[in-house]
Amino acid sequence: MTGMAIEDGPETNGSATPFDAWRLVGELEVTLDVDVLFGAYPDRDGPPGTPGAVMETLAAHRVRAAAVANLRAALFDVRTGNDELLAMAARPGVVPVGAVDLRDPIGAARELERLASEGARAVRLFPDEQGVEAGFPSVRHVARRAARLGLVVLTGGDVRRFWQPFAGLGGSVVFLDTHFYHLGDFLVAAADEPGFHTSTRLLNSPDALETVAAELGADRLLYGSRAPHYEPLVPLLRLATSGLRPAEIAAVAGGNATRLLAETPRRPAL
Amino acid sequence: MIIDVHAHWGPWFFTMEVADSTMATMDRYGIDRAIVSATEAVIYDAPAGNRALAAYLEAQDRLLGYVTVNPRRLREAEADLRAYLPGGRFVGVKIHTDYTGSPVASARLREALTLVAETGRPALVHTWGASVLDLAEVCLDIPGLRVIAGHMGADGFRHAIEAANACDRLYLEPCWSHAPAGRIAEVVAGVDPAQLLFGTDATLIDPSSAFGAVAAAGLSGPTAERIAWRNATALFRL
Repeated sequence: MTGMAIEDGPETNGSATPFDAWRLVGELEVTLDVDVLFGAYPDRDGPPGTPGAVMETLAAHRVRAAAVANLRAALFDVRTGNDELLAMAARPGVVPVGAVDLRDPIGAARELERLASEGARAVRLFPDEQGVEAGFPSVRHVARRAARLGLVVLTGGDVRRFWQPFAGLGGSVVFLDTHFYHLGDFLVAAADEPGFHTSTRLLNSPDALETVAAELGADRLLYGSRAPHYEPLVPLLRLATSGLRPAEIAAVAGGNATRLLAETPRRPAL
Repeated sequence: MIIDVHAHWGPWFFTMEVADSTMATMDRYGIDRAIVSATEAVIYDAPAGNRALAAYLEAQDRLLGYVTVNPRRLREAEADLRAYLPGGRFVGVKIHTDYTGSPVASARLREALTLVAETGRPALVHTWGASVLDLAEVCLDIPGLRVIAGHMGADGFRHAIEAANACDRLYLEPCWSHAPAGRIAEVVAGVDPAQLLFGTDATLIDPSSAFGAVAAAGLSGPTAERIAWRNATALFRL
C-alpha cells in the first residue's frame, strides 16, 4: 500500500478533460509567430502545409499573423518558392520571409538583394535541411550580406555553432532552434550581441523563458511554433504559464517580432 | 486528476535552477501526484540519490518515488530495492540507459529488469528511437515484468506503437522536449488505451511540453482519463 489511495470516480463521457490547455492559455493571443512554414518535407510524414490549412491551424491557436517561409524555396527552387510567397504578401496574417540556399552562396547573395529590393524584411536559413554546417564559408558570406542589407535573419541550426558566423556583424538574428539544453551558450553569446534573439519553441524547461528575461531582457524572446510541423499549443502554453509579466508576455507573443521586423534599418541593395 | 509517472527531484547540470521547483511545476498544470526519481541517482550515484529521495519523500504527500537502479551495480541495486520498495513510498524502479551506459539490448539491462520483475513493481526505462523495440523483446522474455517506455522512443514513436502492440505489459509515456504535430494522436490511435500513461520529465522539461502535446491530440474524456490517471493507478496499484 502506498498510503495515498486514489479514489476511483466515474469515467467522464463528455467534453471534460484533465488536459484543458485553453483554460491555462486564457486570453493570450499571438500577434506574430516568427516560425511558420508553407509546404511539406518530402523526407518526412507530416502535414502538406498548404497555405489555407496552415492559416487555419494558426487561427485555431489564436495566432493572428506569422512570418512564413516556403519549403519549396528552402528545399528545391529558391526563386519560384520565394515568388510564390511574395505573391501572398497582401494576404492577411502572412509576413513573407524569403529563403536562400546555403548550398549556393553565390546565388544566395543574389537572392538576398532581390528579396531586399522586393521589400522583404527577413530571410530564413535552413542549414540542417540543406546539410550545411556553421563553419562553411557560405554561412558567413550570407550572414555578412544579410547584415549589410538590413535583413533580419531567422536561422535554424544548433545555436552553439550557428552564433559564430553572425558574430560581430551588428545584424539582427533570431535563432529558431535554441534548445534549453543549450540555453547557457545562447546567453553568453547574446550578451555580447544585442541583435541576437531566440525563438521560444524549444525553451521549455521550467525556467528557460524566465532566465532569458532575467539575463538579457524579455525583448530577446520571440514566440515561434514551426506550425504546421510542430504543435503550436506547446510554446503557447509555456508562455501563458510563464513567470513573465503580462507586458513581457505580450511582447514575446508578437510585439518583439513586430518591432524587430519593422525597425531593423533597411539599407539599399548594392 | 493527473498523475505524472515520469518526474524528477533534484538539480540538473544545465543552465537551470529547478532543484526546488517540483511542486511549483506540478501546480502550474494541475498535476496532483507525481512519481519521481532523484536526479543524483539517475545521473551519478544511485544509492546516494535513492537515500536522499527517501528522506525527502517522508515530508511529501503528493510524491511517490522510483528506486533508481544502475545496471552496472546490481548488488547495490538489490540492496536498494529491498530497502525502499516495501515501505510504500517507492512504487517503481527507474533505469536510465544512457547515463549508465547500458543499452536496452545489453545483457546487464536484461539482468537488471529480471531483478525488477521479482519485486512485482513496474520499471520506467529510458527509450529513444528504435530501442523501444528492444524493450518489448526483453519484456516478452521476462515473465511478469511490466515496463514503461520512457519518452515512448521520442522520435521513434512509431516504433513505440509496434512495441506496445507486441507486448501488452509494455506501457508508453510521452514526454519529450520536442512536439512534432500529431505524434500523440498517432500513438493513441495505434495502441490499446490501457497501455498509455502521462509523464512530463519535470523538472528537466516543463510539463507544458507533454501536457500541450496531449491536449493538442483532442482526446475524448474516457481516453484522456485513462492517460491522465486511471492506467497509472492500476499499474502502480495506487
